[in-house]
Amino acid sequence: MSIIQKGKKILAQRNSLGLEPFVERLASLFLREGGCPYGEGGKASPEPTILSLLALFAAGPHEDKANSLIPWILKYQTENGSIGINLMDYGWGLWLTAYFAVFCHHYTLSDRLENAMKFLQSFKSVTLMRDPKAKQDDSIIGWPWVPGTFGWVEPTAWAVIAFNVCGMEQNPRALEGRRFLLDRCISSGGWNYGNTELNDRELLPFWDTTALALLALQGTSEEKRLSLSLELLEKNQDKINSLLGMAWTFLALKVYGRDTGRLRSKLISVMQTLNDDDFNAAHYAIGIIALSGKRVLTP
Amino acid sequence: MNRRQFIKGTALLLNSSLIGSLPRSRPAESYPVTLLPMASYEIDLSREIASAFSKDGLVVKGKRVILKPNFVEVHPGRPINTHIQVIANVAEACLKLGASAVIVGEASGHRRDPWFSVLNPDLRAVLDKRVKCVDLNHGDAVRVANRGLRTGLSSFYIAEPVMRGDILISLPKLKTHHWMGVTLSLKNLFGVLPGIYYGWPKNLLHFRGIDNSILDLAETIKVHYTVIDGVVGMEGDGPIMGRAKRAGALIMSPFSLAADATAARLMGFDPERIPYLATAGRFMPGLNGSHISFRGENPKRFATRFDCLDEFKSMRGGPFW
Repeated sequence: MSIIQKGKKILAQRNSLGLEPFVERLASLFLREGGCPYGEGGKASPEPTILSLLALFAAGPHEDKANSLIPWILKYQTENGSIGINLMDYGWGLWLTAYFAVFCHHYTLSDRLENAMKFLQSFKSVTLMRDPKAKQDDSIIGWPWVPGTFGWVEPTAWAVIAFNVCGMEQNPRALEGRRFLLDRCISSGGWNYGNTELNDRELLPFWDTTALALLALQGTSEEKRLSLSLELLEKNQDKINSLLGMAWTFLALKVYGRDTGRLRSKLISVMQTLNDDDFNAAHYAIGIIALSGKRVLTP
Repeated sequence: MNRRQFIKGTALLLNSSLIGSLPRSRPAESYPVTLLPMASYEIDLSREIASAFSKDGLVVKGKRVILKPNFVEVHPGRPINTHIQVIANVAEACLKLGASAVIVGEASGHRRDPWFSVLNPDLRAVLDKRVKCVDLNHGDAVRVANRGLRTGLSSFYIAEPVMRGDILISLPKLKTHHWMGVTLSLKNLFGVLPGIYYGWPKNLLHFRGIDNSILDLAETIKVHYTVIDGVVGMEGDGPIMGRAKRAGALIMSPFSLAADATAARLMGFDPERIPYLATAGRFMPGLNGSHISFRGENPKRFATRFDCLDEFKSMRGGPFW
């Protein structure tokens, strides 16, 4: 069975969830030559393309639309299993391999997935010897944005999500990735980009990275340690007004069975009224995934 | 050793090994800096800003102008980011002078969500409807050869909207910086590099030496004009965790280094003791205070002393006027 046929089969099994207007708007950006750009008039790029495919999976069936993206993104996978942001210049955006793995899992592209996961297991952040005086443990391996640099919350959370979704949650890298995320959790709850404090002063959490880390840590035995972060999102949800912040927060609170208040209706409202200049296909796709109610980023 | 100590060590090591290869300074000339009093952000200074642009020979008529503010992250009560009224005033000045397009663009260094930078409704509310805002973190990028090569990077990926602009105006905030001493116009160029390439934060630039990265970008990207928001700056543990410190002025110049060196002096630092500014003085004009000609107010009026972390106290200097 070809890749396209496999995709068609999976998508045909899903029922429409009434997300058509959002899907149509997202798909209006898909390029004839394949792929999806971040915004109107841009070039196709892997992140919005993969997230669009995940949104189509979540809101399916949308096989024709998915078929315009799949061959384009598959060209980005290199021999070592990774994908990057730039076909002509290898090494940039390798963090996208985690996104790609999640896509391969949902579209049952087994060989592609296996290679991507092999790469993710080999892709490591720079570490330092543990400093006993420091609260942060820099000896824990996570995933970096750029090879040869430190690990950060967002790429690490995505990599752990990929392991979780693919049933490899007990892989040593996934376990260490969870340790990394727990180590980078701010004492009073939440995560920012990946530093908990600066000169002994606690830094502020961000909504999107907090939700993303919570999604990565869902289903682990550490859930009790996550309650402060969940409460942070639950308590502050009325203050979150961005599409990205609301989408991630809604996803995380839903997965943990927490109160999502007016988040869903606020998110719908923002997605309905977003003007073309501010449209970011990657963020919009996460909004569709959130509204779909499908477990796309958790097992 | 923790990560911060590691980065500091890397920056110093890389920097010291490359200083000798830099070109000599230019012959002495006069570089204009305008100090525009701004007692509060509510004042409309667009006319005065437009006048300064004209006097400095900045021609924006019919040009596509990119305004590059500094948005890092938002902490209530902390003056971390370029104030939206400063951005609005400069945008208005460009429109008054006949710019064909004015675009506010930023690739925020810590926050991926553009709601906290160019999508923020507070910013949109004060901008003329003709001004567009663009998130430089997400979108197309253009590969540009690195003209400095101190970082060992052969090229940079610059956000495409910046490369399509005719005029780049840098709008940094007057702040101390826990690694570099001060952060001003030259450091503000980190925000033209898209996060989808460099991440959040742009850790690759830290690994290659922050000094080196600032200097490489300064040699690679042409900034046509600088307007530093010194109305309320940040002292102490900047650029995020410091305290508000009022200087009450916009510091403006067509020469980035002249603006930065003047801003450093106004904060009570000797720019020649700040390694990256001193090194920039070897290939950019405006470091030497005696070569700067002031327009508008006398700098003495705004000279103050920004508190800083102990490790940067050796960079202090003055009085300069």
